[in-house]
Amino acid sequence: MTASMDEQTPRRRMLLGLGWISFLISLLGPVLANVRFLFPNVVYEGESVLKLDSLEKYTVGSITFFADKKIVLFREKDGFRACTAVCPHLRCVISPFVGAPGASPDILRARCPCHGSTFDGRGQVLGGPAPRGLDFFLVTKSPDGRVVVDTRKVVAPSEHFKL
Amino acid sequence: MVTESPQKPGRGKAVSWLRDNRVVRSIFRRGYPDNDLDRAAVMFSNFFLHVLPARTHVHSLKPTYTWGLGVISLFLFIILLGTGSLLMFFYVPSTGRAYSDMKDLQFVVSYGVVLRNLHRWAAHAMVAVVFLHMCRVFYTASYKAPREFNWVIGVLLWGATLMMSFTGYLLPWDQLAYWAITVGSSIASYPPLVGEYIRTLMLGGDTVGQNALIRFYVMHVIVLPGIMMILMGVHFWRIRKDGGLSRPPAPPSDAARGEAAAFSPHKTYMLVELAEGKTPMVDAQAPEEEVMSWPHTVFRMLVVFVGVVAVLSAVAYFFDAPLEELANPDHPPNPAKAPWYFLGLQEIVSYSALAGGVIVPAAAIIGLMTIPYVDRDPEGQGTWFTSGQGRRITLWSVVAVIPVVLVLTWLNEHYAVRILVPGASQIWVDLLNPGTILIILFAAGSLYIWRRTGSSRMGALALYSYFLTSYLIYTLIGLYFRGANWAWIWPWQATGLH
Ligand code: HEM
Ligand code: FES
Repeated sequence: MTASMDEQTPRRRMLLGLGWISFLISLLGPVLANVRFLFPNVVYEGESVLKLDSLEKYTVGSITFFADKKIVLFREKDGFRACTAVCPHLRCVISPFVGAPGASPDILRARCPCHGSTFDGRGQVLGGPAPRGLDFFLVTKSPDGRVVVDTRKVVAPSEHFKL
Repeated sequence: MVTESPQKPGRGKAVSWLRDNRVVRSIFRRGYPDNDLDRAAVMFSNFFLHVLPARTHVHSLKPTYTWGLGVISLFLFIILLGTGSLLMFFYVPSTGRAYSDMKDLQFVVSYGVVLRNLHRWAAHAMVAVVFLHMCRVFYTASYKAPREFNWVIGVLLWGATLMMSFTGYLLPWDQLAYWAITVGSSIASYPPLVGEYIRTLMLGGDTVGQNALIRFYVMHVIVLPGIMMILMGVHFWRIRKDGGLSRPPAPPSDAARGEAAAFSPHKTYMLVELAEGKTPMVDAQAPEEEVMSWPHTVFRMLVVFVGVVAVLSAVAYFFDAPLEELANPDHPPNPAKAPWYFLGLQEIVSYSALAGGVIVPAAAIIGLMTIPYVDRDPEGQGTWFTSGQGRRITLWSVVAVIPVVLVLTWLNEHYAVRILVPGASQIWVDLLNPGTILIILFAAGSLYIWRRTGSSRMGALALYSYFLTSYLIYTLIGLYFRGANWAWIWPWQATGLH
């Protein structure tokens, strides 16, 4: 290019500008495509609907900790409740709930080993850095009489699956 | 130009022949550089040496100026490339194999354990040495014009070094790896709006599994080393273009004081030196302040390299890199600790993930990158701590931060938001925690010093020293004073898990 900017005709300048703009737009496509490429469409990470044992296996007042499935199942006299065992702070697995069998959820305590968040039996944060409480999931029953926890459906901590 | 090197008396014929024969000349084009002409020429004609100038300013060679830290960082990086490439021959990044490959390296492969140790300890050393190099550059005010952008490149190199360590940490697939990355990638999900996307991008899914392992592996062995090599190339090239290392301004030379031109009559100039404004050697710089880079710089670097290899080998021989049990996604170790250089951050994350994972790192990175553009007056370049005043301000900043951090830690143990108000809303936890409070105090303190002294450099010295000291204290707390459930313990109560 020999002519400087101000010597160019407006038409030439406009064409040059258009050229640059189309060049930049043409870059946008491949860049976005490459970013999109990195987001997986399918992941194979285990089930989100968890089938547990048959209903009668869980005695009233029991709290069962499923470390592998990362959920906690409460059998209370009103029915079943289930919450996540993954700490909402930074996703460590919390330790099992402690408290006398049949104790009220307000008295139960679970702690996270990573940064010490504390939760009660309603999933509420009592202490530590967790930004919110433990999620509770929908509990239902399968046709063959087993407990089913659907981790895709979050429900209120007080909601029970009644028998 | 080819000059026959004169036969020195007393040196064996064989040695001179080895140094200078047809094959040697075909490779190096000249005989052994034993006269100043060849010593200058070798720096131009050798690809590996041409990074260095033909002559080096004596100030740049002072061990107490650079402490050799930049060069040591480079050597550690090279060692990591070598040992890492060898480890790759035995390591398969699959969740089913990774851990047993590590065990094989440790117990089956000849010298596998030594290589693994070398790689691990060199990585730890590099994190420390690059950080110390940054401190040296900061405290000698070497980030000032024209080196502002090289400082920014440096900050990127520092980030890349940390990312190298972080991605490498997952590869052994042991408990430490699994939970450090679970926690670390969850921190990445805290920035508002984009957080969850960043986490998904890192892990290639929602949990630390095979997708995450292969992503971390590719980043660790290809992407990040590639980025670092490019950044280092630019880093070194810019050092040359900025006229070598920073140094205190030379006392005005005869030429500058008297006659019109600042050109030194003692020097020959090349066209490149005249073409641009204030390029390298045009600074009034007397020839007697320079020495030939061969041998003075080249052999000093060689000695440093041998020293680094010697120390690393000794450490790798006596201390084995840790390898815990196989990763168990069901149970985090208790306490679950990040690698030592992230423990300070983990301590703040334990107050509030937003403060430790987003606010503090963002403040640190933005602060570091903008320092050279805020603190602009050329005061103190090339002098440790700038002046007696700078020395005092640095010292008092360090001293003042210690009680402040300790008091805040104590307050947090006994009167944290959720201890006073159980179940308090997260906003209060994010606002009122030692991390956020310290940032406000640091900003106020350094602005005050800037105003009191009227010098942005003094403000910068205070700010950097505040951050440095507090991060060191938090690292020590994370290392020695945190036990099960991240509860406060005294070092002698430690269970030995870490
Ligand atoms: C992988 C990491 C790095 C490597 C291999 C590296 C290498 C080097 C080397 C070899 C030098 C020559 C002088 C010396 O040895 O001190 C140097 C100078 C310099 N480095 Fe780095 N560096 C790295 C990271 C950084 C970081 C983190 C910063 C700052 C944020 C930085 C900023 C600078 C600046 C501004 C200079 C010029 C100093 C002066 O002129 O006195 N570098 N670096
Ligand atoms: S992960 Fe549970 S408190 Fe941090």
